[in-house]
Amino acid sequence: MASVVVLEHVGKHYTTVKGAEVQAVKDVSLSVHRGETVAIVGPSGCGKSTLLRLIAGVETPGSGRIGRETGGGQFIVGYVFQDSSLMRWRTVYDNIKLPLEVVKKPDLGNVDRLIGMIGMKGFERSYPAELSGGMQRRVSIARAFVHEPSIVLMDEPFTGVDELTKEALQTELGSLIRTLRATALLVTHDIEEAVFLSDRIFVMSHRPGTVVEEVPVNLPPARDPSMRSHPEFFAAATRVRAKLLEMHAMRVDAATPAPPAG
Amino acid sequence: MASSGGTRRPGLPGLANYGLPAVSFVAGVVLWQLVVELFRIPAYLFPSPAAIFQVFFDGKINWVQQTLITLNEAVTGCVIGIIVGFVIALVITLSATLNKILMPYIVALQVLPKVAIAPIIYILLGFSNTSRILLIVILTFFPIVINVSTGLTDVDRNLVFLLQSLRANKATIFYKVRLPNSLPYFFDGLKIGVSGALVGAIVAEFVSSNSGLGFLILNSQYTFNTVAAFGAFTILTALGLLLYGAVVLAARQLMPWYRSG
Repeated sequence: MASVVVLEHVGKHYTTVKGAEVQAVKDVSLSVHRGETVAIVGPSGCGKSTLLRLIAGVETPGSGRIGRETGGGQFIVGYVFQDSSLMRWRTVYDNIKLPLEVVKKPDLGNVDRLIGMIGMKGFERSYPAELSGGMQRRVSIARAFVHEPSIVLMDEPFTGVDELTKEALQTELGSLIRTLRATALLVTHDIEEAVFLSDRIFVMSHRPGTVVEEVPVNLPPARDPSMRSHPEFFAAATRVRAKLLEMHAMRVDAATPAPPAG
Repeated sequence: MASSGGTRRPGLPGLANYGLPAVSFVAGVVLWQLVVELFRIPAYLFPSPAAIFQVFFDGKINWVQQTLITLNEAVTGCVIGIIVGFVIALVITLSATLNKILMPYIVALQVLPKVAIAPIIYILLGFSNTSRILLIVILTFFPIVINVSTGLTDVDRNLVFLLQSLRANKATIFYKVRLPNSLPYFFDGLKIGVSGALVGAIVAEFVSSNSGLGFLILNSQYTFNTVAAFGAFTILTALGLLLYGAVVLAARQLMPWYRSG
């Protein structure tokens, strides 16, 4: 299968304001194939967001290499943030159109099509301040797909969304990815979200983050809410949770001094 | 706006919001009139509203001309102040080095009560219109510099990152993210700026002028024509409201997306 992104032994460290060296990620190797959705799950501060920035090319890795397959055209990413991060001075339509303007692609009806797909017909001329939180998320998701990017990177896209809205948004996002045959990389600490949306899950350790487990999700590609009670859903979620708990226990052990003898 | 679905623009505040302030204002004016009449306070000490009203029509002072002189100075100074303020804001946000070089001067000028410079400006530039305008510019540009530079810098970092990931250059990020982001900050600065412009115009006329509302107030003091001074206060209040209202109106026109408070 053709890969869109391949990471080989990628490492990255930062120098903090105080001058300390912090290893964000270490020896990360993973690949994302064309048309698949991959999730990266890990504890807070495991360098998940760093990985996305590296793949986007906004930062360069300190070690290792990142291969990007363009399949002809330019490698370009779509991005969904933790908060919707819309331009409050732009209407729904113009917010979604933004990536097309920046990469200088003509608007051949993609904006209208996506507005239809996220169920926001009639809101084209509304400003973000006039929308509910869930609607703002939908707009930010549409913005990530409009320019037909090589890969859509999602950084905990549903943080702070209430549970019911979150499930609805996850269902919509899943069908959007499939309809558009998009390739996506999702970073999250929500195990159910990872299982529901992705074909494969990489579990990462705490800082310095590295991949400790790869969990395949053997669910049919088309995901509907009923699959949340599918045995394979539980199987995958359990495997991910077990690995995360194992790493958590190791950290707690390491942080707790041994009891005095006798 | 009402046509698009889901809009929640605040409607005009109703009578409840405007009614009480209006009643309070009218009651205050009536009370003022009664107190002046009841205690027979002479007009040169504290004129009544009726006397102030009359002074506009007794033909001794060309109010329209004096008002236009002051308004002209204030608006000219304010416009130049906006331009200067904007350019300085641009310079200090685009260059960290120039920011560090210019900052001590900008801060020093700001903490100094600028009215204090007024008498000295005339030594430098003479008793000219230029000196008056300069004082107004000094009073206007600072809030623009601070607010616009904040607006250009205080942007959603995700948006900058988004454009970087799409290989946008700095110029694109500037006019697609930073510039529109600074607009509400600019108008907030301008609200402070226009009141500063009126202060500047009056002080400038106090120090050196033979026309304008500031000159009129000073002259009224010498001649115990207190009622004329109160006439000038009334017009200045109206001018202040007018300029402030113009800024609010322009902000609404240019930023239909912006909802404050």
